[in-house]
Amino acid sequence: MGHSVYAALLSNRYLTSRLIPFIAIAAVALCVALVVTVVSVMTGFLNMLKDSGRLVVGDVIVSSGIGGMPYSDEFVADLKGLPSVQGATPLIDTIGMLRMPYPSGNQKEIVHVQVWAVDPLSFATVTDYAQDLYWRPPADAAAAATMSPDDPRRSLSPSILQDGLTLTQSRTGTPGITLGMHVSVGNARQRDGSYLPRYNWFMPGMDVTLTVVPISGSGTLSQPREHTFPIVNELQTGIYEIDKNRIYIPLKEGQRLLRMDDAPLFDLNAEPDAEGNYPIIGKAPSRVTKILVRARAGTNANDLREAVDARYADFSSRIKADPTRRAKMPEFVSILTWEQQLRDLITPVEKEREMMRVLFSLIYLVCAGLILSIFWAIVVEKTRDIGILRSIGASRGGVLWIFLRYGLIIGVTGSCLGVLLAWGVIRNINAIHEAIGSDAPPAIWIGTFVFAGGCAVGLGRAIWIGRLLSILLWLLGTSVLTLIATALALHHGTLIWDPSVYYFTIVPDQVDWTTAWTTALGGVLFSVIGAAIPAAKAADIDPVEALRYG
Amino acid sequence: MAEPIDCAVLAAVGVRKTYSFGAVPVEVLRGADLAVKPGEWVAVLGSSGSGKSTLLHLMGGLDRPDVNGGEIRFRGSPIAVTHGHRLDTYRNRDIGFVYQFYHLLPELNVLENAMLPAMVGNWLPRAFSGARGLRRAEARQSSIALLESFGLGHRMHHRPAQLSGGERQRVAIARALANAPTVLLADEPTGNLDVKTGAGILDLLSERHARGLTIVMVTHDPAVAQRADRMVKLTDGRVEAEGVVR
Ligand SMILES: Nc1ncnc2c1ncn2[C@@H]1O[C@H](COP(=O)(O)OP(=O)(O)OP(=O)(O)O)[C@@H](O)[C@H]1O
Ligand SMILES: [Mg+2]
Repeated sequence: MGHSVYAALLSNRYLTSRLIPFIAIAAVALCVALVVTVVSVMTGFLNMLKDSGRLVVGDVIVSSGIGGMPYSDEFVADLKGLPSVQGATPLIDTIGMLRMPYPSGNQKEIVHVQVWAVDPLSFATVTDYAQDLYWRPPADAAAAATMSPDDPRRSLSPSILQDGLTLTQSRTGTPGITLGMHVSVGNARQRDGSYLPRYNWFMPGMDVTLTVVPISGSGTLSQPREHTFPIVNELQTGIYEIDKNRIYIPLKEGQRLLRMDDAPLFDLNAEPDAEGNYPIIGKAPSRVTKILVRARAGTNANDLREAVDARYADFSSRIKADPTRRAKMPEFVSILTWEQQLRDLITPVEKEREMMRVLFSLIYLVCAGLILSIFWAIVVEKTRDIGILRSIGASRGGVLWIFLRYGLIIGVTGSCLGVLLAWGVIRNINAIHEAIGSDAPPAIWIGTFVFAGGCAVGLGRAIWIGRLLSILLWLLGTSVLTLIATALALHHGTLIWDPSVYYFTIVPDQVDWTTAWTTALGGVLFSVIGAAIPAAKAADIDPVEALRYG
Repeated sequence: MAEPIDCAVLAAVGVRKTYSFGAVPVEVLRGADLAVKPGEWVAVLGSSGSGKSTLLHLMGGLDRPDVNGGEIRFRGSPIAVTHGHRLDTYRNRDIGFVYQFYHLLPELNVLENAMLPAMVGNWLPRAFSGARGLRRAEARQSSIALLESFGLGHRMHHRPAQLSGGERQRVAIARALANAPTVLLADEPTGNLDVKTGAGILDLLSERHARGLTIVMVTHDPAVAQRADRMVKLTDGRVEAEGVVR
């Protein structure tokens, strides 16, 4: 802009000849950095939640009521025929009580759990089950080198992973159980995210007793039934809600315990025989309560949901039309995408993020106000100069531009610095969190004390000279540094991101660039708005008045 | 005395200016007439509060006369017939101001202050600045030459605060002359200086005047007014001829 030479010159001089504009730049930068960091972490969190959620439940979930649906094998085969389906797996989802091997008071601890009775092999094709199994020996020497020396995984045999994958204890051939990592209190999470058994309560190999309540097709509860399983492995899905409650047993065992396996079908309309039994007219097929479907890569979950829906309608009418298949089909099945299924988990986080965005965006107003007052003061101070400029032919637009440009520079510089700062913080957020989580290194707090001492010397000098402002500033410096140093010295690690409070074990460290740039744009916009009011006042200055009284 | 308004380069014609100070209107100028011929140096005398600065501001296009209160003509046509850029251009190109208190911009160095009108001129739309619009490099060169001729060659990169009063006023004159204006309006240019320094400034103006610069200078001091071609006196809001010096 060749025509704005003097405006550029003056706004640059007004910028560099005083400290206050730099405070404004810092304020804008901090506001932008705060919004970008908070929203990025929340977005990362949301994405992690969605990704892991999807890997735990598949893309589309078909659920019947607790009575279950029969002929699921046939439906699963139907689904596998769909080109968009990569895999499908039936399971039973119920609740149960688990008697843990460790005590709680006088008896063994009992926890309530969500039981998923799964066919492990097909289940692993639909979900991330295989990858989530935690106990496994290190893949190679390099992986072993990254583990701490007392990590129990170092001495595990490969069979433990195999047992988890098949839900069978290979040594005895008995059906096994896998638990979410946080079902047992025996697993103590370490700083590096690995687990160490507490008091040697290493779960795999121990027995737990699962109690479930079978429910008849008509919905009445039967006598609870229990079964003891050896724990064969544990899983870490990354979603705390799931890792805290979920256990997996083989589908066959689940069906047997819940009386959902195949059984003789009696004709209740006929006369019972002498012993009171009704005549057998066929076989009731086994039932499951859920079928999880995994989409092929590139298929949209919503499209798959519709395909599954159509396929289920076909399947259901085929069964109903077949008089030889007399098992009752469920009245209603819900067919949902993973996102709909996990609504309860995702929505609050989404809401929380938007609330944070709105709340933190309010600080823009503070920024705009800050710039407004700084500029107002500068315009008042520069009234005479503005009169001079007008007297040598500067237009009102030119004067306006001096201050708008000034605001623009503060906004752009502040916003860019803010994005940069946010980027630095977010990329290193786990290291920062780690640092907060551990004791401050002595060098840092001793160093801070030394700086505080330096400030105290400055304070002494200022008192000697007797300059009030210097005394005040040095006093502030000394006390703040002393406070920080003391806090650092007394600080003992606290993990803010406690995995028992949050779902995930690591803090998301990706910048949400859309948010970053829109926030930066907002920072620029509000800076210019803040500058516009004093700029308009400057343009309105009457040159004669300014020269006469300036 | 009938003044030849038609051949004047700058003229105030029956100019009235009233300030309403609260409810009481103060009539400062009550039909002031002043015609300045090309190349003339006019000194405006008058007691304090007589309206000398007001007249200068009106002639420089910084302010406007009352409605129906006469007009200011430059080269025969009234200024301020239009708002905005035309008046800005007039102030930038045709007029140079010099004030008693120098009014330099403290953030700019001497050279930047002196170049300011040239830089401002570049900001004005081409349509108004026209062929006279100096390019920045030329402006820089001519400002440097001007400052050197004023004996400020070694002060080029100093801030105004580092200069003496006389030096500051010389920078202010260099600034007023940056765009080679037709008329220089000086409001008590020596009012803040001792006699010797003031004489230096007046020498400088004389020298410019000798090269054809038209000057309207306000002063209290009859000795200073002696340097002009002609003296006029403002009394009761009117201009009265005081005498021809040369
Ligand atoms: N904005 C204003 N409002 C009210 N009165 C004003 C205003 N500006 C100027 N005046 C009055 O107009 C009169 C003329 O002022 P002006 O500055 O032109 O006088 P002057 O001849 O330059 O005086 P001096 O020699 O002291 O500089 C003064 O009485 C002043 O108080
Ligand atoms: Mg005056």
